[in-house]
Amino acid sequence: MSRRGGSQSGGVPWPGGLRAWARRHAYSLLSSLGALVRHPVASLMTVVVLAITLSLPTGLYMTLENAERISDGWERLDTISVFLDAELEERDAMQLASKLSARPGIVAVDPISPQAGMAELTGRLRLDDVSEQIETNPLPWVLEVTPESGQNPETLSRRLQEADGVDQVVIDLQWLERLQAILAVLERLAIVLGVLFAVAVAFVIGNTIRMDIQNRREEIRVLSLVGATDGFVRRPFLYSGFWYGLAGGLTAWLLIEIALLALSGPVGRLSGAYASDFALASPPLEIIAVLILGSGILGIVGSWLAVSRHLRGL
Amino acid sequence: MVTSEHMIRFEQVAKRYPGGIQALGDISFELGRGEMVFLTGRSGAGKSTLLKLIALLERPSRGRVLFDGRNVGRLSRRQIPWLRRQIGIVFQEHALLSDRRVFDNVALPLVIAGVAYPEIRRRVRAALDKVGLLDKERSYPPMLSGGQQQRVGIARAIVAKPSLLLADEPTGNLDPELSAELMQFFVSLHELGTTVLIASHDLDLIRRLQRRVLVLKDGTLADDVPAKQVTVS
Repeated sequence: MSRRGGSQSGGVPWPGGLRAWARRHAYSLLSSLGALVRHPVASLMTVVVLAITLSLPTGLYMTLENAERISDGWERLDTISVFLDAELEERDAMQLASKLSARPGIVAVDPISPQAGMAELTGRLRLDDVSEQIETNPLPWVLEVTPESGQNPETLSRRLQEADGVDQVVIDLQWLERLQAILAVLERLAIVLGVLFAVAVAFVIGNTIRMDIQNRREEIRVLSLVGATDGFVRRPFLYSGFWYGLAGGLTAWLLIEIALLALSGPVGRLSGAYASDFALASPPLEIIAVLILGSGILGIVGSWLAVSRHLRGL
Repeated sequence: MVTSEHMIRFEQVAKRYPGGIQALGDISFELGRGEMVFLTGRSGAGKSTLLKLIALLERPSRGRVLFDGRNVGRLSRRQIPWLRRQIGIVFQEHALLSDRRVFDNVALPLVIAGVAYPEIRRRVRAALDKVGLLDKERSYPPMLSGGQQQRVGIARAIVAKPSLLLADEPTGNLDPELSAELMQFFVSLHELGTTVLIASHDLDLIRRLQRRVLVLKDGTLADDVPAKQVTVS
């Protein structure tokens, strides 16, 4: 930008060319860092606000990632219940079971006798005396089919339905579908919040830079009096915005890691109580990179907004 | 670069500030390359405004101001920095950064130009040495007296070796001895080839130096006294 400005001024090139350009950039970079360090408390407060703002959507995203990992484990536990025709005897049921278990896409077939089914039902409903009162067991043989993970349960159930002797196929996926729908809603919510909070970060930084510009009005005036280009005046503020964003992103990462550490004990005890070895996962490297670099870029965007609005006409 | 015979040329220049205050009306004069000229007149006569028009701190309401043959009134916003780098300006109100050391204040025009640090250090020291403030390079401007601050401003104005030096009351805060010393310093700059235009109401000092004098009165050029006619009273 500054180089373009130079070539427009009637063929008078900027002194020193590329190296001078690099030196001016180095000066802007150092002076922007210096400005932050000169007001440590104010800078720190801005960075903490940014870090909290950034850690909220990232934390929600991490919670969902972990929840999805748990529910992935549950999906494998899902079985398809194949109700056989009532007139089928034990021998037919066993034959069908071994036939089905040889089919691709099926891990295991577990036959449940009408007696076992009745026992489970009465046990679950606490109707211990019902079985005694019913003379003939109305339940048919049931085959509990465990599909391979990744199999579409719907297609599998349709194929099972076509087999001889099968009365009805029941998949109890509703609760899992509901859970996944809830997770999908929350995931969308995390994205919406992420966008909103990103905008908030840009505006917080923009506002900080705006105040910075106001405090340094005299400096800007003097710089332009001694021949600084708009680009030279603008650059330290853009760098400041970038530093704010970068520091905010780094601190947000730190906050998330601290939160995970604080939660790991209780979560470990909880999953232990369910005989699971589930543990909270740290954010993956690409999420951290997006968080830190993204907030750095948001910083530049925010300060650009402030600079382009408040530096004009000085 | 196209070089013009005249460093500065005013053609029927008028300046009216918003609110209708007529600061300058119909000013025409020329300033030759390498010339040293004093601009004098009572306060409010338009001296500061005239200097500001050259550095484009203000734009003329009418007429043309030519710097090195270019009409500065036609320069775009982007071209102003280029103009200001050709000109060293000593401001009446110093215009120093109070939170930067004297060294950094003087270095500013060189930093903007992207000069390498060792070169900056050498030239800033040389400039501070010329105004007698080498021992103050690590001080902050508020720690200095008004006169010392004025000299920091002068060091900053000359550090980038501009082809034109404008000074607005550079001796306003100084005692007579120091004033004479500084004027002599401006003379030596002029002798090295810099064009110098100084606004001052220190008539005694101006007479002693025997240079061309422009006299402003109520925003118009009342007199233009050539160097040889300036008499020692």
